[in-house]
Amino acid sequence: MLFAHRLLEEVVTSLRNVIAPAIAEPYPKSQAYMAAVILEFVSHQVEERQDLNDEKTHTLNDLFHDLSSLLAGKAPDVVVGTTDQEARLCRLIEWLYTEKDRLGPEAFTAANQRVRAALRQLLDQELKIAGTKE
Amino acid sequence: MSESTQDKIISYLYSKLPQAKDLSLSQFVQTAVGWSHEIYVFYAHWKEAGHEVTQGFCLRKDPGVGLLRNLSDLKEQYRVLKALEPTSAPTPKVYWYEEDPTLLGGPFFIMEKVEGEATNPWSKVGKQFYAEAAKRGRLPRSFIEALASLHNLDWRAADLDFIGVPGPGTEFALREVAKWESLIQQSLRKPEPVLTEVLMWLKANAPKTQRLAFVHGAYRTGNLMIKDDLISAIIDWELQVIGDPMYDVAYVLSDLNREGSPLLSCVVEREFFIDTYQQLTGLIIDFDACRYYEILYMMRSTAFWLSASGLFAEGKNKDLRLARTTYSVPVVLNMAAKALGF
Repeated sequence: MLFAHRLLEEVVTSLRNVIAPAIAEPYPKSQAYMAAVILEFVSHQVEERQDLNDEKTHTLNDLFHDLSSLLAGKAPDVVVGTTDQEARLCRLIEWLYTEKDRLGPEAFTAANQRVRAALRQLLDQELKIAGTKE
Repeated sequence: MSESTQDKIISYLYSKLPQAKDLSLSQFVQTAVGWSHEIYVFYAHWKEAGHEVTQGFCLRKDPGVGLLRNLSDLKEQYRVLKALEPTSAPTPKVYWYEEDPTLLGGPFFIMEKVEGEATNPWSKVGKQFYAEAAKRGRLPRSFIEALASLHNLDWRAADLDFIGVPGPGTEFALREVAKWESLIQQSLRKPEPVLTEVLMWLKANAPKTQRLAFVHGAYRTGNLMIKDDLISAIIDWELQVIGDPMYDVAYVLSDLNREGSPLLSCVVEREFFIDTYQQLTGLIIDFDACRYYEILYMMRSTAFWLSASGLFAEGKNKDLRLARTTYSVPVVLNMAAKALGF
């Protein structure tokens, strides 16, 4: 049996080189080419998905650990208590901006920079699937 | 659309052209473009008072569930185009708006088929077309003149204030942020912390509008009909607002619309655009505001892609182009993150 990514490659090749060029109508032709593009992305997703989930969990755990020190218990329960890690981070970001004046520029900047560093890591993980090949 | 739909259009045209006899359609094409609306282009032929008449039409139909969901209003687009007809802005003439969804399955309007091509700038052929036109020099100037015609427009005199007039200060920028955030809220299937950071930054840093103008909202090549190296019509009227003219300028200046081309919107040199635009409008380009709006556009693009992929996931639209956009979300968020310095 062929590996899944190999099968997908074959489908992509056929869609791009055989099926799409043979279609005269613009709309179905665009659909065939777009199917090839999507299957290439899906191929990356199938191979790398579990790695990404592990990395994401690791990144978020580290972030919340660091923020608990940086904010010294200033974050409200509604932020701390949310179970979904990404939803929790969204609420924390909103809270930081809402409380920016109260926190003061130094504390806000420190927390915001730490959040942005984690967001960078999360984005880099997602771009392993969605980033276009150079 | 099936052949019977063509029959329905013929019946509709008969109702609008009571003098017409032997009416038929030719070159009936559903274009591949248009994510928010179904677009059909065709020629109608009929006999009238002993003469044979041929007229090109473009029909824009509400598909029920388009990319912009409830933010897109076909009737408003028709009214805007009608209001623009007597102005110097190059726009297609509109003929009829039909609200009755039973005729074609949704509201629609019919406008003239403008001569020219809205060549897609993302394709190899398109990039080459615009690069060659840029060298000839006529199209870059026409590109700027058409934009200036919008920004110089007396929108109150043209009765365009029905689309909403923001208050002074930061209200325009904040209204735009709120508008696209509402589309995000309708579309979001999982938390997106990077997007939350971008949204909160936009809310905290909204620029003040110096002067209100009539703004297209998506002014770029691909949304402009071109004939003989001149803009024959500005099309794709879905995102127009009364607002900060820098909103359009930022879109032109943005890397979002040139995909590696050294030319803005793949057609005009940056310095030439800046000098000519300022000369034609009397406005001084506010680059800080443009930087802000460029990040707002990245957020807006994210909203589009979330809406598109959401519609596909919800089973409301089977167009594979919409499914593909799920991979565009992190790419455009990455652009926003880089613009914000992370």
